Amino acid sequence: MALKYTWGQRDPDSFQMTAAIRNLRENPRFLFTRLPNILSFLCIVIGVAWLLLLPLDDNSRRTYISENALLPGQVHAYFTGSEQNIFRGYKQELQTLLNEDRETEDQEAEVEVTPAASNKVHSILQAAGLKVATQKYEYTSAGITHQGENIYGIIHAPRGDATEAIVLVAAWKTADDELNLKGVTLALTLARYFKRWSLWSKDIIFLFTPDSKTGTQAWIDAYHDLHPESVQPLPLKSGALQGAVVIEYPFEHHFQKLHIVYDGVNGQLPNLDLFNTAVAIAGGQMGIGANLQEMWEHNDSYEARLQTMMRGMTKQGLGYATGAHSSFMPYHIDAITLQPKGEGWEDEMALGRTIESMCRSLNNLLEHLHQSFFFYLLMHSNRFVSIGTYLPSAMLIAGNFTIMAIALWMRTGYYPESKPDTPAGEKSKSEKSSKTGAQKIEKAVKVNETALPERLMALPLTLVTGLHLLGLVPLWTFNNIFHQYFTTATYIFVVVDIVLPLFLAALLSNGLGVSKPIIPQQYLLIKSFALLLLGLSLSTLATLNFSLSFMIGLLCAPLSFIGRLQGPAALRYGISTLGLVLLNLLSPPIVLLGVCWYTGVSVETVLTQAAFGWDVWGMWTQVVVWCVWWPAWLIGCVQLGSSIF
Amino acid sequence: MAVDRRMVGVFGVAFVLRLLLICLFPSLPDLLTGRVEVSTPVNSFKRLQEGLYLYTRNVSPYDGGVFHQAPLLLPLFSLLPDIHSNPIPTAIFYFLVDLVNAYALVQISESGQSIQSRLHSAVRKHIQWDGVSVAAWFLFNPFTIATCLARSTSVFTTSGILFAVSNAVSGNSVNAMLALGFASYLSLYPALLFIPLVLVCYDQRLQSSKKSPKAVGYVLQHAAILAASVVGLLALSYLITGNFWEFMSATYGFHLLVPDLTPNVGLWWYFFIEMFDSFREFFIGVFWLHLASYVGGLTARLRRQPLFVIASLLGVFAIFKPYPSISDASLYFAMLPLYRHLFPLMRYTFFAISAILYSSLLGPAFYHLWIYAGSGNANFFYAITLVWSLGLSILLADSIFSALRDEWEQDHPEEQGTEVKQV
Repeated sequence: MALKYTWGQRDPDSFQMTAAIRNLRENPRFLFTRLPNILSFLCIVIGVAWLLLLPLDDNSRRTYISENALLPGQVHAYFTGSEQNIFRGYKQELQTLLNEDRETEDQEAEVEVTPAASNKVHSILQAAGLKVATQKYEYTSAGITHQGENIYGIIHAPRGDATEAIVLVAAWKTADDELNLKGVTLALTLARYFKRWSLWSKDIIFLFTPDSKTGTQAWIDAYHDLHPESVQPLPLKSGALQGAVVIEYPFEHHFQKLHIVYDGVNGQLPNLDLFNTAVAIAGGQMGIGANLQEMWEHNDSYEARLQTMMRGMTKQGLGYATGAHSSFMPYHIDAITLQPKGEGWEDEMALGRTIESMCRSLNNLLEHLHQSFFFYLLMHSNRFVSIGTYLPSAMLIAGNFTIMAIALWMRTGYYPESKPDTPAGEKSKSEKSSKTGAQKIEKAVKVNETALPERLMALPLTLVTGLHLLGLVPLWTFNNIFHQYFTTATYIFVVVDIVLPLFLAALLSNGLGVSKPIIPQQYLLIKSFALLLLGLSLSTLATLNFSLSFMIGLLCAPLSFIGRLQGPAALRYGISTLGLVLLNLLSPPIVLLGVCWYTGVSVETVLTQAAFGWDVWGMWTQVVVWCVWWPAWLIGCVQLGSSIF
Repeated sequence: MAVDRRMVGVFGVAFVLRLLLICLFPSLPDLLTGRVEVSTPVNSFKRLQEGLYLYTRNVSPYDGGVFHQAPLLLPLFSLLPDIHSNPIPTAIFYFLVDLVNAYALVQISESGQSIQSRLHSAVRKHIQWDGVSVAAWFLFNPFTIATCLARSTSVFTTSGILFAVSNAVSGNSVNAMLALGFASYLSLYPALLFIPLVLVCYDQRLQSSKKSPKAVGYVLQHAAILAASVVGLLALSYLITGNFWEFMSATYGFHLLVPDLTPNVGLWWYFFIEMFDSFREFFIGVFWLHLASYVGGLTARLRRQPLFVIASLLGVFAIFKPYPSISDASLYFAMLPLYRHLFPLMRYTFFAISAILYSSLLGPAFYHLWIYAGSGNANFFYAITLVWSLGLSILLADSIFSALRDEWEQDHPEEQGTEVKQV
């Protein structure tokens, strides 16, 4: 078993190395308590620094079109002059209908779409020669009912066999809840215009939804026959959807720049080629600048890039739908929204030509967009970093928990005779009383017990599993109660988060007659298992939603370094109380309240949106919050709280 | 036998837990049935349904090339009510199979063969779990629960193997061979367990009776029993299907030649996708030879602990067999707690378990990225199956190390507890 070989002649360098290694080995306190802390801390610091370095020129790349078939901006767009008269005509008709209905029915909501206007859309599409169908749907979430009717028309490709299709979406209400009259009109004009071209090799579907939140989701679910019962099936279908473009134009004046929105549900992104095509066409062919992430003034400086990236990460991390295009992403259909912004000299025809050119590019595709990146962070309309460059930062942060977990595990079992810092307890008292005696006993034990200690794992395993399952309670609560109670529920959870850790800590330390009091080793094991689970959940999450993993990782970072405190009672009480207060500031409900206070949005709105996302979009940010973050946080608090008892 | 209250408790809770899961999440069984980690072409419940449909309509179940399981399962499942209108009876049937398997584990554990056998006596006898705890580890293992809910037909193979072992350790060598015959009939690979199983029976026989049978005769006699049981089952199958060669090639041919390369947690599918067709036969031979070669090596080296050889071989199968699923891993994890006394000697448990945990989370995530999100590719999932196999291999190698160390300590009592140091 023991492998031995002679040292022979060795150069002094390697000798020093082995000496250093031997030193480490004989110094378990350093190896098991100090080193992991240093390593974990380094991981977090490097992880954050890594992210901050990404906007530099050396780390980010210029975007490029990877799929050659797209050929963006290589065709002339003919959507001009005479089509504008038709646009004006359609707009006038719709406007009149909307105004009439508003006067007669006296609707309180400013932008409510009227049945008459919908019928008009229907008849215009039919008159243009499209096959038209409608779909009614209804969703209920947090006690609020959302219902509406989608209208869509299909242009069958003259040169295709109806196996592939492109979708153009115009929602009556934009993502910001404004009336999208010009956007809808533009889509109708384009429908009439496209119908007369003979060059389409893919079907083109024009979809008109009542709003940007529910309509596309109902339609795309039904398109793939995965709709809930409250949503009608589609009477008319086409082939596999290759891409989708959402048109918005919610104001009367001319615009200056195009704002491209690309974030999907759960942080999924469209293929970078689609975004690049939009940028290339808008910027290169049409001469309209492109913006992203609401950065109206982007001077391509480090700060601007970083800010763009951070905004993108926030949206990705929260995982909500940022527009009508978001619903397409889970079905692996690349989609973006084009929003005209600012006051300038570009009119709706320029937007129309941009869309025409985009449709021509998508029409050229020979296969589904797959060439370019699906995982990227954009920091400018022509700069990005890909997953290989940015992933290490989230992985390092997730890795810090794993390092700590491994270190704690080794610490609980490796060197029983010189436990790095045996906590004040019955054990150390007996050891202190007769140090030599203890050594002797340990030697005896060593012979009998064959040196290797047993870990008492039943309680830690049960506790950690149980607390993770307990996360299902808030998860269920926040997704199923009515929206009026969200604010109250949040405050209740703040109180629960203060009381529950203390209660658990008391239960563990004293047993309260229910169980045997816990021994110090088990505290380390509890922490080890909790951090292991946290680390592995976060590293899995980093591959699915980098930003969410990064954010949760940062919020959990203190959990690596807190544990049960030792020392004189007064000091322990002081520090642990202070620590508990600080930790409570990082609890999920308090963070939610803090963010709401900072952004000025009400808690109820946020939670209603979240519940809506869960029910309709299939958003799972909540699962991560309540079943990954919250249990880990709770265990951290229990560790710290146990120092009081 | 007096009813053990703890055992009834554990079995009852396990049963209720499974029942609760399917009642609270009615879509869970179908979700799990569709997962590649759980259902492979040779144990998928969906494919069984297909075969059953054809069988009940008097068409050969192997028409269409979807169904590859043993024909005797068909009459059995045609007795159960229709799965779509009434899924509960089938589910309960599977729950009961799980409980029966757990009962076999209890018997294996209570025989004490894993700790004390004819040629070997563990050094740390006092560290052990009783049968009920071992059964609880099996019944509450998420992998076992997933397999059970997915109604994978591997559970029957598991029963066959566990009953073969439990009969062997209690001295019913004929029953052991019959059970092994049943397992081999269902999935072919359990036949490789014959040699260690015969050794268990043989040691057991020598221990219980003074008269020692001749080793060669004993082995041959039991091989004959095994062969007879397999032939009997095959004959029954012939009566059911009517076409002997069709079912042989659709089941055993399918196991041997690995024509379906649907992704699974094993190592074969990716390798054979990448392979040029001209090398296919050669490498199939190599892969099978590799799998079979563990039998000889482990049996010879660990002659004193044949039961441990069986446990380790189950681990080897979970890694290297052509269509492994998590049910094979759950069978290996079921055998490991019998060797509780080796745990203190194992060195990398934490790392191995971490690797397994990591891969069981990352596997579904990467599969999702590959198949559904379209943003990943096959390499993502394959990389994770490698990590999964690595985790299992570390665990396996570590347990074998500790078994060897245990043997060594038995031989050198004076060296007990000395630390192994690599200088």
